Order: sequence, then structure tokens, then C-alpha cells
Amino acid sequence: MAADDELPLATLAERALASMARRGFEHAQVDVSRRRHTELNLAHNEPSLLRSGHSHQLGLLGLLDGRRAATELADLSAQALDDAVSALWLAVQSAPQDEANAVSSGQRADIRQGPLLRDPDHPDHCGDGAATLSPEDAADTAAAAMAELRNWRAEHAPTVMIEEAYAAHVQCNGHTLTSGGSSLASALAWYELHVMATAHERGRTSSFNYTGGSCDGLAGRPLVEHCGIAGMLGELTRQVNTEPLAEKFVGELVLGPPAVAALVEWLLVQLADQALIGDSSLYRQRVGEQVASPLLSLASRFNAPGVAALSADAFAAPPVMLLQAGRLRTLTPSLYGSRKTGLPHVPLAASGWAIEAGATPLEDLVAAVPRGALVGRLSMGRPAANGDFSGVIKNSFLIDQGCRGPALREVMVSGNVAEMLQSVRGVSAERIDTGHWLLPWLHIDGLHFS
Amino acid sequence: MHPAAASHCHEVRQHELRRTRLQMIDGALVGNLRSSEGGTSARVHRDGYWGFASAPGACQGDALERLLALADRHARTMARFGPRPVLALPATATTRLDDQTIAGRPALSAADCAERLAALHAHCSRHYPGLRSTRFMLADERHDKRLRTSAGGESLARIARALLAVALVAEGDDGGPVELVELLSCKGSLADLELSVQALAPVIEQLHDHLQAKRHAVTARGGLRTVVMAAPLTGLLAHEAMGHPCEADIVLGGAVTAGLVGRPVASALVTMVDFAHHFEGSELMIPVYVDDEGVPAQDAVLIDGGQLTGFMHSRETAARMGRPATGNARAYGPGDEPLVRMRNTAVLPGHSSMEQMIAGVDDGVLLLKSGNGQADSTSEFMFGINLAYEIRGGRLGRALRDTTLSGSAIKVLQTVDAVGDQMHWTCAGYCGKKQPMVVSMGGPALRAQAQLGGR
Repeated sequence: MAADDELPLATLAERALASMARRGFEHAQVDVSRRRHTELNLAHNEPSLLRSGHSHQLGLLGLLDGRRAATELADLSAQALDDAVSALWLAVQSAPQDEANAVSSGQRADIRQGPLLRDPDHPDHCGDGAATLSPEDAADTAAAAMAELRNWRAEHAPTVMIEEAYAAHVQCNGHTLTSGGSSLASALAWYELHVMATAHERGRTSSFNYTGGSCDGLAGRPLVEHCGIAGMLGELTRQVNTEPLAEKFVGELVLGPPAVAALVEWLLVQLADQALIGDSSLYRQRVGEQVASPLLSLASRFNAPGVAALSADAFAAPPVMLLQAGRLRTLTPSLYGSRKTGLPHVPLAASGWAIEAGATPLEDLVAAVPRGALVGRLSMGRPAANGDFSGVIKNSFLIDQGCRGPALREVMVSGNVAEMLQSVRGVSAERIDTGHWLLPWLHIDGLHFS
Repeated sequence: MHPAAASHCHEVRQHELRRTRLQMIDGALVGNLRSSEGGTSARVHRDGYWGFASAPGACQGDALERLLALADRHARTMARFGPRPVLALPATATTRLDDQTIAGRPALSAADCAERLAALHAHCSRHYPGLRSTRFMLADERHDKRLRTSAGGESLARIARALLAVALVAEGDDGGPVELVELLSCKGSLADLELSVQALAPVIEQLHDHLQAKRHAVTARGGLRTVVMAAPLTGLLAHEAMGHPCEADIVLGGAVTAGLVGRPVASALVTMVDFAHHFEGSELMIPVYVDDEGVPAQDAVLIDGGQLTGFMHSRETAARMGRPATGNARAYGPGDEPLVRMRNTAVLPGHSSMEQMIAGVDDGVLLLKSGNGQADSTSEFMFGINLAYEIRGGRLGRALRDTTLSGSAIKVLQTVDAVGDQMHWTCAGYCGKKQPMVVSMGGPALRAQAQLGGR
């Protein structure tokens, strides 16, 4: 097994694809990946754990006579491959025929991005010969980041308890081949941050809040400027003493980026396979129409830290504009979804989205609200397929006549996400970059507060 | 059992995780995946700090020694942050414990699974042609964990759970999609889940009836309402709203429960326990006999007759709070470190029937299904409600559109005035806390006052 572990990813992928062809699969896709991480953790304000790990995975997808089956295994040995291909052969025989099943053809990519680890002996295991970063360097960087966070907390937010936090270096190398001749290689590295905290004062506790994300480096600017950490921790100190709403009303929200992400996630589901195939999307017939406020433009950022511009079905994923000044530019079916529905195929990476910044400073957005709330986090169930939702606004402040008031507790808002996207009245100039998301604050009206 | 060495101890875990997942949308098998992963991890506690290292496969001999040495080096590296008070961690087992077994039916083949999904789809197409869409998802997962501790303890723990999700989509009065999901789960593999059309037809029929009612649903009236929570929601309340604030690492982080031990946090009708492996003589869905630190698992009584009595502990939180470890340290994947996690968390049953509870409500809401839930350190919680009906004069009325239930769990539990006599357990979901985790939750129906989202 050790010998197989040492093989280059391309060799392992070629071996797997050949094995599937020999077994008789008409079409196949194989994905091989190796992942390595080093992570330093804080618990309750104190350093607690240094963790590292590496893992690998082989994914096999086979098609036979329109039937489809897939498997993933962590054993890269030739024997494990043979066993997996045999089991897959049995599995595919019993799958229902579906002429929409297919694999990609003729795709080419070789992506190398981020702070790659140096591993001159095994270039595709962890990085490449040109990289200079060692795992020890990565651990040092993570330790320095957490030390900086502790110092900042002690100086600027002593009432905050960092319940858990970590800084990690992650590297993931992958190679995908298909029987259609696609070959997609990637070597991605990034730093990951996560901070979850509460604030405490005279026996009272704030709601928890958290932030985090990925970035290419931690040097060059203060740690707390990443992912909105300083803002989140600073606001927590003002959320210990809270007030309930005095009465129900219809008002306005200034939604912070984490809450905006919840709206975008609902929209992305509406535009993707399950909703399109199951005919539950509100947008299937609306490409080219105005479905959101003209202030909203939503585009991909598939080159963001930790994101590879590759789709799960083995396509290079070029940039895509979903909303342009509120107009829906495209739906996003996968290759399978496209063949199933007849809609044009739009390959998407696993994540990476940005809403274009507006021209209005955040403080001016708040000042424009006669009655409502500045919302840090929206705690809600999955919005219904028709967009209906209600949720608890967390880490939030009352806004009265344009002025930020007390922090709120036990306040719910209800509305409809599709209508909220159309009711955007302002977009902030400021945005928070978490790698996977680059999002501003949105001013939205017509929400029911209770 | 003997006390751990004062400044140095370790454990090694070999962990295999196998999963199956099939998804069918309108008869098309859009997902058909089996996966397996396996790895070895070593964790070292030295001078107050932890080091952890993991690698793929079942490491033996020199490879295992190298992994342990790396974990130890990580713990030593943490000394750069300065000396830390050394905790006397509670003891772990010192002998080999009996291997845990799973007595389930032989696993279903891929053909069996696909055949059952196709039959369920055909049933829905034949009986409910007016539906816009049907979706089915089958999934199971199995964990086998071999643990060895530096105190000499050795154990083989096994967890397996399976689930079926049935989603029906219809068209609402406004032309938009209306959806309901039923989740069925059990201990074991998919073979242990009843998947025949004959067995599931009544379940699907009931779901379809609710869906027809929901097509004409009205918006809920928001505000403080009397609610009757069906048993599945009580399990969620137990897990999310009071379970998380009773995890000792969350308590140490300043959860509102920290200063409430011995004080009333619920009606005297409420008793809540995180069970290790058995309830009323039957093995539970997620039986934990020994946790991933090698601690023999004990039930953790969290609320007894309305009073907060204790928390769930790992070895470290137990040492910090001067309490016994309860066996709640669990790791999800082969490369994950143990965290304080729930196992089988439940509110215990009372003596009221569901009919009695509804009949006693003049103006309220019956809550039947929840999509998901979240909780806060303050005990404030939120559940998405996907199926609910008005109660007027003790009788059920119109269905309500999707809404949200929220409030302070402590305040809500203090208003409980009736506890149902029928328990319902589920292990269908994942708990999220840095890592995912398979857990089960249970409870009877409850009647209480809580905030409902609406207009």
C-alpha cells in the first residue's frame, strides 16, 4: 500500500480509468486527491491543540448503458481499486437507465494557487518544487495568528470569550480524468480562519457569533481585518445587554454579509439541478427577466482562495454572472441537469460568489432606515421552496429614525426571500471577504417584525 | 481504572467510516454513491496542551510510532505559548472492554436499494398524479472505532444508522411550490429500515394529506402563542435548545447555564437526560459504551424535575469543573479530534395524551414538523416549522405556512404544562459543531408557550 500512496496523482488516475475501461464501463470519471492540513486551536481564550493530518481519496464514477453508479475510497492500493471497480460494476447493473447520464469531454485545466507547500521529493503530494513553505512554517504562521488574536482580544475586547478559534493551513491536490479525454489537475493551498465567541459582563452573556473563511496569506495586514473578525468581536461587546421589541411592526433591515449569504444560498438552490429537475424553481422560466433589485449584481469568484474553478462533473468553470443589475442571466444546471431538462449547461465551482459593492457607506444605509434593525446574523430554517421564511435576528441592533439603538433579543422577522431580493433599497460600499463569499450589507424593506 | 499520568497521556484510534447515499428525483437516480474512509489518529496530552496527528489507513508498527511521535511533537510545540496548569484528567478504562456489536440484517445490495426507490416512486406516481415532484433519499453510515489508551484501555465501538427521506412537492394556491418532507431513521444499515411500499404507503398517504392541507395554508399569527409540540420537535428542543448549553465546553465558554446548577430551569414536569446507550432496557439508536477518549460512558442527567443538575463532559472539561467524565467526547471522522458531543438526548415522557393536550388549548398552534434548528449560549433557540395547524377551541383548524418557533429554552420549558405519554426517537440528522456528528434525540409531545414567527 505504501508504494501506491507514493504514486503521483496523475498515475493513480490513469490506472483507475484504465481499470474501469477494462471492466467494461462505457464512460467513466475518476478523481484522485490528497489533502494535508495543519491547524492550531484556541479554546476559551487559551491555546489548546495543534493538529495535523493528511488523507487521500479516490472517486470512481461509471456509466454503462445509461446507468450510473459511483464510489469513493481512501485506500489507493491496486487491490482496493480492483475490488472497488468490481463492486461498482455490480452496482451500475441495477441502476435505472437514464439517457441524461454522461461525463465531460475534452476539458483541460492545470490550476496552481495559494501558499503551496514545498515537497521537492513528491511534487504533487503537497506542492511543487518552486514553493518554499514547509509544514513547520505553516504551523508557525497559524500559531502567530492565534497569538495575535489573543493579544487583540485582551487589548480591545477583554469582555469577549473566544469559545473556539483556529487558524489552519490546508492544501488539496487533485487530478480528474474522464473517458471523454478531460484532464483537470489542481494544487490549491489556503489559510483557514474560524472564530466563535461570546461577550460577558456582570453575569450577563451575549448571543454567540462567529466568522471565518479562507485567504491566501495571513501576513501583511492585522489578523482581525480578515473575514470581519474585528467588527464581529467589537459588536459582541455591545450585545451583552439586550432588549425585546415593544411591539410588532413592518419595517426595514440592514442585513450583514452572513445574513446576505443565506439569501444567496437560497437563490443558488433555486437555479440548480434539484429545483430545475423537480420543477420547483421559481426562476426556470425567468432568465432575462428582472428578478431582483437593479442594485443587485451577483457574479462568481471561482478564483477565490480555497476555490478551484472546476465543477464536480469535471468541467473547467469559467466566470459566470447570475444577476446583472437584478436581471437573471442564467440558470445553473450541471451536465446531467442540462441533459435532463434541455436547459443550457453552466458549470459551477463548489463555491465562490460576490455581490458587487454599492456606493453607499454602511452608516448611510443605517441612517436611511426609519424603523428596523441592523442584523448581524439570521437564524432561520431553510426558506420554503416558494421563498417564505421567518427567522430570529441575532447579533442585531434596533434602528430608530436612522440611529443605531440597543441590541435586540428574541426578535423574529418574516417575509419571502424572492420578494426580499426585489426589495433591496441599498447596497453598502463596504464588503466582507471570506474567500468563498465577498458580500456587502443590504438595505431591504417590507419585513414583518414580531 | 487508575488516574491518568499527571502530565502525559495519549490515545490511538483506528477509525473506519462507510457510507451509502442514493437520491431519486421523479424516478431518476441522480445520486448512487458508496464511500469508505479509514484512518489512524494519535492524540497526546502533555503539560496541559494537546497534540493530534492523523494519517490514512490502519497504521501499525513504525508508522504508528511515527504518528504518536508527531502528535507528541505538536503538544510540545504548544509550549511556545508558555506553561499551562496541568490538569489531573479523569481516568480512562485500563483493560480491554467487550467489543461492541451491531445485530442487524445483512446489508442491502445496490440493486436492492435502487429497486426499493423505484417501487416507492412508482407508488407515488400511481396514487398521487397531481404532485409536481417526488424525491427520495436513502443514506446510511457505519463507524468502527478501535481505541487504545496509554492507561491500557482498549475498545471497539460501533455506530450505524440509516435514514430515508421522502419529499413531496405540490402546487400551492398561489401557484408556487409547496413541499413536505418525512424522515424515517433507525439504528443499523438500510436493511434495518422498513422500505417496502406496503409498510410506507400509510406514511406517504399521511404526508400527502398534510401536503394537500398545506397547499391552502395561511400565514401564522406571530407572537407568544400556546403551542403543542409533536414528539419529534421535543427531541429537537432537547438537543438544540437545552442540550448544547449543557455541553461543558459551551458552559466553560460562558453559556447561561453556567450559574444555574441546582436552580429551576424548567417546569417540574420536565426531566431531560443525555443517555449513553440504553433507555428503559432497550439499546438506543446511537449507543456509546465507551467514548473516543476511552472513558466508559454514563448517562448525563441534565434536568431532573425541572432543576438543572449537570452537564456533559470530556475528560478535560470534567477536570476543569471538578466533575466526573461522562463519556461524551466523540470524534466524527478518522482525522477528527474528540469534542464534547451529545449521544441520545431526550425529555422523558409524562402522562398526557396528544388529544388531551390539543383539547386543552383554546387558541394555539399544533407544531408537527421541523426542518432544522439552532440554539444559542443564551438558550435562545430557533426551529424552522414546516407543518403546523391552528388550534381553536380545542380543535384543529387550518394549516399554516412555514414559520419559525423561537424563544429562550428556559422560559419555554418553564411554561410546560403537559407532557405526552408517547416517546419518539430519531437519528436522522447531523449535529454540527466544528465537525458533524450522528446523534439521536427523543421525547414526547409538550405543551408550552413560545414565540411563533408570523404577522
